[in-house]
Amino acid sequence: MGASEKKSSEAAFDVPTLNAENLQSNMKVIYYSRTFMSIIGGIIAGILGFTGLTGFIFYFLIMTVTSVGLIAKTGFTVYSYFDSWSQIILDGFLGGLLSFVLFWTFAYDIVHIF
Amino acid sequence: MAMSLGFVVGILGVVILSHAAYSTVQYRGLLKIMEEEFPGPPLIVVIELLLGLVFCMWAALTVPGTFLSIHPHSEENRIVSLPDNLDFMIFNHRARVLPVEMDLKLKH
Repeated sequence: MGASEKKSSEAAFDVPTLNAENLQSNMKVIYYSRTFMSIIGGIIAGILGFTGLTGFIFYFLIMTVTSVGLIAKTGFTVYSYFDSWSQIILDGFLGGLLSFVLFWTFAYDIVHIF
Repeated sequence: MAMSLGFVVGILGVVILSHAAYSTVQYRGLLKIMEEEFPGPPLIVVIELLLGLVFCMWAALTVPGTFLSIHPHSEENRIVSLPDNLDFMIFNHRARVLPVEMDLKLKH
């Protein structure tokens, strides 16, 4: 009797406070959005002919706008879809930077050098 | 339906961007013939790029899917649709006629 009581109380503690599968799916959505936006931003920076620091400032701007867009997509209730703010603002930032530089140089070469 | 609309908008944005790139290439060629420096893309190209950016942003925000609520007790995660034939469901099985072991133990 005592053992079963203990078990049930443990089960009560084990009830998850958030749905991990849905959180994973939300992170995937964020990741896709960010990757696509960094590719598009890279192409635009290349066509505009940005060089040096200007391009990185442009990337920062694009990511800020994307973050605002994603927050708007949640309907400004971030905590019902994510753990914390950093997940929606910072996640995929560095990975996106690599795609950005790749497509930036690619578009710049095609438009301005060849 | 909304997903496919976003997809079409994204393709439109990419087409606009490639047209802007093509215009810039031609502008560079013209400048090379006139032997002038490149002062920056023309205004129409900048407008095209902004339009393409907006379209692609729309696609990036709509196409990957919708956010799902992570709260286990939220309205979306709760199963509220029960089958209509609940009255006809029977949860009996043959173990009902067997003696329950727990009662026997308590008698000892």
